[in-house]
Amino acid sequence: MTHKLNVCVGLAAFIGSVTIAMAAETIPVGQLVDYTGPTADISTPYGHAVQDSIGYINDNGGIDGRKIELKTSDYSYQVPRAIATYKSWVSGFKPVLIQGWGTGDTEALSGFVAKDKIVYMSASYSGHLTDPTGKSPHTKRPAPYNFFYGPTYSDGCRALIEWAKGDWAKKGGEGAPAFVHMGDNHPMPEAPRAACESYAKDLGFEVLPPIRYSMAPGDFKSQCLSLKQSGADYAFMGNTTGSNISLLNSCDTVGVDETQFMTMVWGFDENVVKSAGEATDGIVWPVGSALWDSEAPGMNLIHEIMAENGRTGETLHYIRGVCSAFYMRDAMTMAAAKGDITGPTIKAAFETMTNHVPTELEGVCLPHSWTHENHRGTVNIRVYQSHWNNGDNTFEFLTMVELPRRDDWLGW
Amino acid sequence: MALSADSMRCGEFRTSYKADTTIFPTPRSRNFALAGLLALLVAPFIFDSYVVSLLIQIGYYAIAALGLNILVGSTGQISIGHGAFFGVGAFGSAWLSNSFGIPVILAIPLAGVMASAVGLVAGIPALRIKGLYLAIATLAAQFILEDIFSRAVWFTGGPAGSMASEPSIFGYIFNSDQSYFYIVLFFLVVMFLAGANMLRSRDGRAFVAVRDHYLSAEIMGINLAKYRVLSFGVAAFYAGIGGALFAHYLGYVSAESFTLMLSIQLLGMIIIGGLGSVMGTLLGVTFMVLLPEVMDMAVGAVGDVIPGLAEGSSYLKQMAIGLAIVLFLIFEPDGLAHRWKQIKAYWKLYPFSY
Amino acid sequence: MNTELLLQFLVNGVIIGTLYGVVAMTFVLIYKSTQVVNFAQGEFLLIGAWVCWAFLVHFEMPFWLGFPLTLVFMFAFGVLLQVVVLRPMLGEPIISVIMLTIGLSIVFQAAMSWIFGVFARPYPQVFETESVNILGLDVQPAYLLSFVISLLIMVGFFAFFKYSRMGLAMRATAFDQQIAASMGISVRRVFALAWGISAMVSAVAGVTVGMVNGVSSALSFFGIKVFPAAILGGLDSIVGAIVGGLIIGLLENVAQFVDGEYLNWGNLYNIVPFYVMIVILMIKPYGLFGTKNIERI
Repeated sequence: MTHKLNVCVGLAAFIGSVTIAMAAETIPVGQLVDYTGPTADISTPYGHAVQDSIGYINDNGGIDGRKIELKTSDYSYQVPRAIATYKSWVSGFKPVLIQGWGTGDTEALSGFVAKDKIVYMSASYSGHLTDPTGKSPHTKRPAPYNFFYGPTYSDGCRALIEWAKGDWAKKGGEGAPAFVHMGDNHPMPEAPRAACESYAKDLGFEVLPPIRYSMAPGDFKSQCLSLKQSGADYAFMGNTTGSNISLLNSCDTVGVDETQFMTMVWGFDENVVKSAGEATDGIVWPVGSALWDSEAPGMNLIHEIMAENGRTGETLHYIRGVCSAFYMRDAMTMAAAKGDITGPTIKAAFETMTNHVPTELEGVCLPHSWTHENHRGTVNIRVYQSHWNNGDNTFEFLTMVELPRRDDWLGW
Repeated sequence: MALSADSMRCGEFRTSYKADTTIFPTPRSRNFALAGLLALLVAPFIFDSYVVSLLIQIGYYAIAALGLNILVGSTGQISIGHGAFFGVGAFGSAWLSNSFGIPVILAIPLAGVMASAVGLVAGIPALRIKGLYLAIATLAAQFILEDIFSRAVWFTGGPAGSMASEPSIFGYIFNSDQSYFYIVLFFLVVMFLAGANMLRSRDGRAFVAVRDHYLSAEIMGINLAKYRVLSFGVAAFYAGIGGALFAHYLGYVSAESFTLMLSIQLLGMIIIGGLGSVMGTLLGVTFMVLLPEVMDMAVGAVGDVIPGLAEGSSYLKQMAIGLAIVLFLIFEPDGLAHRWKQIKAYWKLYPFSY
Repeated sequence: MNTELLLQFLVNGVIIGTLYGVVAMTFVLIYKSTQVVNFAQGEFLLIGAWVCWAFLVHFEMPFWLGFPLTLVFMFAFGVLLQVVVLRPMLGEPIISVIMLTIGLSIVFQAAMSWIFGVFARPYPQVFETESVNILGLDVQPAYLLSFVISLLIMVGFFAFFKYSRMGLAMRATAFDQQIAASMGISVRRVFALAWGISAMVSAVAGVTVGMVNGVSSALSFFGIKVFPAAILGGLDSIVGAIVGGLIIGLLENVAQFVDGEYLNWGNLYNIVPFYVMIVILMIKPYGLFGTKNIERI
């Protein structure tokens, strides 16, 4: 049995090297997705979007005539498998860019991609990935080859704080509003907590002790009772869609009526509305792009790509996936214009972008700027609110928050 | 009649205790092991980075799995908390090398000692609790340690995790797969020899006695309490070293990596490999590490042939992994080591096997 | 001390605890009858929930038809699983069987994700009322249903094991398989029945959780909660399983109360049950109601 496996591995290595010889004209891009693991419900639309967009790009001229060769691997959120896949790519496939996924794979591979000089575009928006040179005191390890499309988790939370401040004044609230961060004791929800609580304090909020609830869906009535008891005015849910559904259901039953719920980019989408129904009424959250009802010219492309691939009923994360793929396309095009398409040249191309939006996606993707020392792509966050309307759910655009580019917010 | 040591005899004859308690069962198997070691020494020059990284993974998991095998296979105490000890080693090594400046090559064994201390504490319930109850108590230890990992910011860096630097000896930094492979190989050989040696020693026999019939063992004078807890300590030491190697390979340690899933995987490795068998550990780990990779290729190949399957290929891969484990256990519940012994026994007496 | 709040927590604890108890009961049933530790128990909940969802949403059956059909399906599923997969494992070391059930859980998880997708789906509204107020706490009627059902199941099991022939046969097999076989009891049939019943009751628990939180692949995480509850009560005691579940439910909520009001550590909800479990096991190594192994030389 072991012998057969050894033969298989040897055969695979041989096939891999032959493929390299044949694929000289294509641009190798790797993609890590989680289609079968705990974050499958949010990885599926995003992953599909990246795959579909690259297919579209290839069908429409590719990059300077060259096609992108995409290899997708489902690592089921098991970090060792992501590492093994990465290693196999580096020795055979040799991608110039990897479309990664979540905190697990991004954190584990950030050191490797910096060493191997491969651009890593993640769907994890942790603040510390925005510090390429390690200037910030908060940064443990510089992440020079990490980029992502979208506002950081910290910025998303900060934008919600700003909106909440305005909302409190509009509601005629007396005294200092109380803010509570809810989330699991886990890298992704924890990433924005310190930054967010600090900013809330700056803006005059009373910051309550954080409430923990698990990333795994379950019954959270106890946590909701605590929330109700704490009297928080604004609660930020830091977990992903799955557990947020349970939390909203539990809190709706317990009767947490005084608290305005807010969540993060990955914490809310159409599926949460479908599952939690009326409990989602009034939720406020940041969206990293325009939404389906937008009349921006860029939405035509999104619909076209979806139609080409037979996608229907995708959640809003699909749009961000398309944006991510097209920023990649633009960076590659810029790199190709100056010479070869490699990891370092793509990185350099990204770092020349200032308020860049891909031309076909005008009005849909947020303008991004990257520099050699600052990978905080966008500081514009669109804040939306969900209205249940007895089943006829709508997402209302509330405001576009533009956060200042403060030096002390780099990498945080 | 004198038989030459190299001919295929129809049995192994030992005439002294010393000959009976060798680390390798026969001179032939020892020679094969040496040959295998030599082959591994030149492996990084022949194979590419991918194969070397797989070998490194097999290396550190094998060390941890051997510890678990000593605990479960030899002492008979089922533990579902081994992943947490692995994590203690990983975080411990990173912490020691970051906070105290201890060279990584020394921090790794020290991390093993730290994990061993934790293991001794976690083994205290073993004094009172037996069987499946103990197994679930170790499950509790797993969750408690996981919680501590995410909260003890001074030790683990909290949710943000901690960095682990590359080992360096006299200025030479081991920061590539090929060079790190030798560090892993070194520890693998040392730990495996130590493990095999311990199992043939007095302590090892005491472990087996505790597993087989603890009442008789106690009557014979074996201190049950000492050996039960010691078993946990030794297992945790191995897990700690495996974890430390894991940490320095990745360069980054996060509490996310040491979940119940890891404990279950380690348990699966030794069950499939064969409980109580040192060689079985290696076989089982190789099986479990290569299984996802092989399934990847297999499902990819099948998906190319049957187009409708491409969408569901990830699920198919997961199902295939689970099915492989299930089918393997149905057909060979005693593990790969047992099957290997059967194969050897068959050929040893061929064509007169009876 | 805020007694009103504490009362709410306690009520929540009892309600949730009964649910844990039901799941623990199914686990203990399998262990008691067949000596198998079933790591795939959480997946039984998941399969039950998804199958009921499929009946209700896809085939658009009313609840009073879809739910019993689900139970029938799950019974057949449990029996089939035992016959096909577990019968070859009779007599093999217990740890191999444990690993087998773990492998099964991987297969089921992936299969459910493939068949039903990865998105959480809500159940159609079964009860008219949104919630019922008990002692100050609003409780979803689904939980009340589970509470009532678990009481019925407890009584039913008690009567079954004490008074019916099959129940007696199962108890005999749990005590000693060889003697039971030599008395003419079909051990195979007992095993199949045990798995079938366990799968069926798991479906009840799964449907309950699904009705409240929607069905998603994370339902199987409930299976992890089962272990402390079953162990606490004693691995071979059905009453113990219920009590264990209740204790875990109450502990979690009291811990959350203390944490929220006084300590603000944030993790007591998750961790306290495990600490308490270890303490109780140190005092009573076979759980609260488990049969003590009389050691003979």
